[in-house]
Amino acid sequence: MSDIVEKTLTALPGLFLQTPGAGGPAAARAPFSSRLGGLIRGITALTSKHEEEKLIHQELSNLKAAVSAPTTTLKMMKECMVRLIYCEMLGYDASFGYIHAIKLAQQGNLLEKRVGYLAVSLFLHESHELLLLLVNTVVKDLQSTNLVEVCMALTIVSQIFPQEMIPAVLPLIEDKLQHSKEIIRRKAVLALYKFHLIAPNQVQHIHVKFRKALCDRDVGVMAASLHIYHRMIKENSSGYKDLTGSFVTILKQVVGGKLPVDFNYHSVPAPWLQIQLLRILRLLGKDDQRTSELMYDVLDESLRRAELNHNVTYAILFECVHTVYSIYPKSELLEKAAKCIGKFVLSPKINLKYLGLKALTYVIQQDPTLALQHQMTIIECLDHPDPIIKRETLELLYRITNAQNITVIVQKMLEYLHQSKEEYIIVNLVGKIAELAEKYPLFEP
Amino acid sequence: MIQAILVFNNHGKPRLVRFYQRFPEEIQQQIVRETFHLVLKRDDNICNFLEGGSLIGGSDYKLIYRHYATLYFVFCVDSSESELGILDLIQVFVETLDKCFENVCELDLIFHMDKVHYILQEVVMGGMVLETNMNEIVAQIEAQNRLEKSEGGLSAAPARAVSAVKNINLPEMPRSINIGDLNIKVPNLSQLV
Repeated sequence: MSDIVEKTLTALPGLFLQTPGAGGPAAARAPFSSRLGGLIRGITALTSKHEEEKLIHQELSNLKAAVSAPTTTLKMMKECMVRLIYCEMLGYDASFGYIHAIKLAQQGNLLEKRVGYLAVSLFLHESHELLLLLVNTVVKDLQSTNLVEVCMALTIVSQIFPQEMIPAVLPLIEDKLQHSKEIIRRKAVLALYKFHLIAPNQVQHIHVKFRKALCDRDVGVMAASLHIYHRMIKENSSGYKDLTGSFVTILKQVVGGKLPVDFNYHSVPAPWLQIQLLRILRLLGKDDQRTSELMYDVLDESLRRAELNHNVTYAILFECVHTVYSIYPKSELLEKAAKCIGKFVLSPKINLKYLGLKALTYVIQQDPTLALQHQMTIIECLDHPDPIIKRETLELLYRITNAQNITVIVQKMLEYLHQSKEEYIIVNLVGKIAELAEKYPLFEP
Repeated sequence: MIQAILVFNNHGKPRLVRFYQRFPEEIQQQIVRETFHLVLKRDDNICNFLEGGSLIGGSDYKLIYRHYATLYFVFCVDSSESELGILDLIQVFVETLDKCFENVCELDLIFHMDKVHYILQEVVMGGMVLETNMNEIVAQIEAQNRLEKSEGGLSAAPARAVSAVKNINLPEMPRSINIGDLNIKVPNLSQLV
């Protein structure tokens, strides 16, 4: 009986759509919802690129007529816009539609606005002249009481926004940093980060607000602010050393499982957050003993906890190892990290092997004995069927060349060169061989 | 930072193309084609990380890809992103698509390209990862869908009726009647009246 009810329910929408309802002729209403479908089915039925071009050109001229016709409602414009996006994705020019996309974002109701904004973000770029027309709409939407509109405006601001217009929206976005809804604060943080990337001098005065975002009660907002801090610390690490304590505390709480269960991914608490924090700590602790000392505990804890067998825990382990080797060294941590690298390199999983080799390249300067330990595996990797692993091994070998092994290494590099067909790899490798030849001029390759 | 997100099928046809950095139109198409050629050569049991070709920026950029059935999901990232982290992010994105579309397949991506873009917008914004929690992403999309239903007006009435009836808990009728027991109980006829 319940399957009969199920069948009736699924058939109902079909029945209703077939009967012409009020508002608009049936001929115009019914086909529009499947116009995109029709176009796609048309393309897949064709066999040659030439026919596809013909079909798309015809579709584009239909669309051109449709969007310029004064009788086209916004709803129909929305359907046209989706088809235009599809054509542009396949590589055909649809620039006649750009201005209509902006109009759609300005005048449409919520759904049409959404399509309009999407089309604008896909079609235009930051220095496009038409973009200036959108600024007013964005300002209006930022002040709207409808949360979805504000979200859409913030999204478009961080995707594309003309640099000259930043002062117009900056105060509104700063305002949003104190909004009661977490999603809006989070998007505002990322929009401000985008501004920092394109015009850092204009966001100087709100660094204090970023600090507030870091201590926000909602984890999402705090995570978003980490993007900004990672960038700023990369540019100037000494200005933020006082924040080391806070980052360490946050990481301790995450690793200790103090976050809500929602943030667990395969029973690992907020792995991307952990990775981000570890990178920030790496930048802060570099060559600085006092700051590094603050981190030893939490790094130890992370190394210990990340023992499960999932991709994500390996990601965290990799970051931990990288951090341990970059900051001021501590012998117990170095030992544990070396063991981890060993596990990676010997792992049968290929992604881990790659990362193990990568980690060895970082480590090699500080601890050459580690490479000797894994010599056999490295030599095996040289003959690995995967060219990426081979290249990574060559990269590693390049760093451990000395007078004894240079002949062999350069020979292997030349072999790889013969097989490789990609131009930029060849250029890279030839450069390395030339460098080695200069360093050890007495040896013939 | 994520430079670009590309989804194409086994024949190189693009299903979703989103660039977070400005490239002219022909270069964008060339990048899609080049990425497809690079990724096609890979077997299924080797590394998921590729150095990007000469077009997409040189040695600082990596392509991290995953192959699901007929689709390749490729994220082009720079060195500030963790490779395994992005690999799992691709997994989160695909799982979210699965949740939003109910057993997603390539056809869903083709015919609902705009919806896929909206979901992607909740995960990655401006090249930065905005949200990694699948439930949060789905909640945002549901909020937008609810607005869609309420704005639908008269033409959405059948759809709403259908979903309302679907959500009623109909009492289950017994699918099989066990007559192994000789002490047959008289059925309760009052519910059929």
